[in-house]
Amino acid sequence: MGETISLNLNGEVREAKAGLTTTLLEVIRDQLGLTGAKKGCNQGVCGACTVSIDGKLARACLSLAVNSVGREITTNEGLTEDGEPSALQQSFIDNGAVQCGFCTSGMIVSSHALLQDIPNPSIDEVRDGLSGNVCRCSGYRKIIDAVRGVARG
Amino acid sequence: MTEAGYFDPVSVDEVVALLAADDEAKCVAGGASLVAMMNARLVEPSRLVSLRHVEELKKIETAEDGWLQIGALVRHCDVAIADELADGNQILSQAASLIANPVIRDMGTIGGSVGHFDPAADYPVALSALGAEIEIASEKGRRRIPVSNFFVDWYETALEPGDLITCIRVPPPPTGSTGIYEKLAKVKGDLGIAMVAVIMAMQGDAVSHLAVSVGGCGPKPIRLPEAEQALIGGSIDEAAIQDLVGKLSTASDPVDDVRASAAYRKLLIPRLVAQAIGQAKVNLRDGS
Ligand SMILES: Cc1cc2nc3c(=O)[nH]c(=O)nc-3n(C[C@H](O)[C@H](O)[C@H](O)COP(=O)(O)OP(=O)(O)OC[C@H]3O[C@@H](n4cnc5c(N)ncnc54)[C@H](O)[C@@H]3O)c2cc1C
Ligand code: FES
Ligand code: FES
Repeated sequence: MGETISLNLNGEVREAKAGLTTTLLEVIRDQLGLTGAKKGCNQGVCGACTVSIDGKLARACLSLAVNSVGREITTNEGLTEDGEPSALQQSFIDNGAVQCGFCTSGMIVSSHALLQDIPNPSIDEVRDGLSGNVCRCSGYRKIIDAVRGVARG
Repeated sequence: MTEAGYFDPVSVDEVVALLAADDEAKCVAGGASLVAMMNARLVEPSRLVSLRHVEELKKIETAEDGWLQIGALVRHCDVAIADELADGNQILSQAASLIANPVIRDMGTIGGSVGHFDPAADYPVALSALGAEIEIASEKGRRRIPVSNFFVDWYETALEPGDLITCIRVPPPPTGSTGIYEKLAKVKGDLGIAMVAVIMAMQGDAVSHLAVSVGGCGPKPIRLPEAEQALIGGSIDEAAIQDLVGKLSTASDPVDDVRASAAYRKLLIPRLVAQAIGQAKVNLRDGS
């Protein structure tokens, strides 16, 4: 199943096997065991697989593994602080922003990026920033509360 | 290259040589459409030629003939804010800013969108109203094709195996023109049910330039140059607009899909186009 590649994942160098059409999402979940990023649509539509690549948000399902070599990849797992939930992750828990949890990792990675650009986002700015992430449980209100909650500190 | 068949060339010459050597090869720009198709097992390329290190494809520059050349690898987020697109040509920026969401706009490229040619894609509609050209490189050399000949049928373009789109060429905007790009979608960020692009200029009360293109309502963008021409020199009153929108609706060939029925689209076209032309008139009157 392809050649050995080495990835810079959450600050660690990890080795994996990748063929020509293997996606970053498949490598992260199936080989490296980080199952926060979810395979929802596998078409770029739902945002459940959102990760950050070189500091920019990306769809892991549309990113080729062979094209990810040498780049800094961060998943929701990588956003924890010393093994504890970050303030943002804790805010999702405290605000009841997690229902089935399928969209949550993608929501947190996207919100994290949003808060770096806009430390105190308005409701509309949160909506815009998360417009590429779908929550089928439709718990958007609590997700917005969670993001704004941490912003206010 | 890698064992798996992934190539990372740096020049157009290298890319076209790699594409020419293998009929099943595919070039990959942002990957937003190609990887989605691979995931759905609709394409299984034998080799992938990455364009991301080809500097020539990343430029936006004005050519000697005055046309603006937008490199194939320029991303949607950069077209959306390109200062070089002025007056009526701003429809290309408007179209770019309405594609999907910020993450996809950061990823997808104009060359990838044009090469993929989804019938609901935004750029083809705007490029058709602009009268743009597609520049292509292959082992045989370079050639330019007007968009009216480039977009052929459902998902079919004039691209042949071994072809690489190098840039999209946009003519200078008509003096004093304004541009309107409208996309009707169920939710923000979705592909459109129908799209319309209008470029218009007036001298006094008379129309001096008019281009109207309709998308999402057939295999390729619809333009009716003769019907447009009939309005030049006139004052573009209600009757003239109704005549044009009726012809556009008749010329459309929409299908039923998850977004809307064909019948709905037929009804939509006249309203969408009339509204866009009306807005163009207002912009020109207000000088914005
Ligand atoms: C969730 C989602 C929503 C979207 N919504 C919209 C929308 O609202 N409106 C819209 O217009 N589009 C939309 N798209 C499509 C998007 O614009 C894609 O980015 C674009 O179609 C492909 O660009 P790319 O650079 O990613 O191309 P790739 O996926 O890399 O390539 C696409 C195809 O074009 C070929 N190709 C790429 N570059 C060249 C070149 N230079 N020369 C020749 N062939 C080339 C490839 O071989 C491939 O066949 C959406 C996509 C997704 C995933
Ligand atoms: S799984 Fe990647 S966007 Fe849905
Ligand atoms: S919590 Fe279930 S999809 Fe968002």
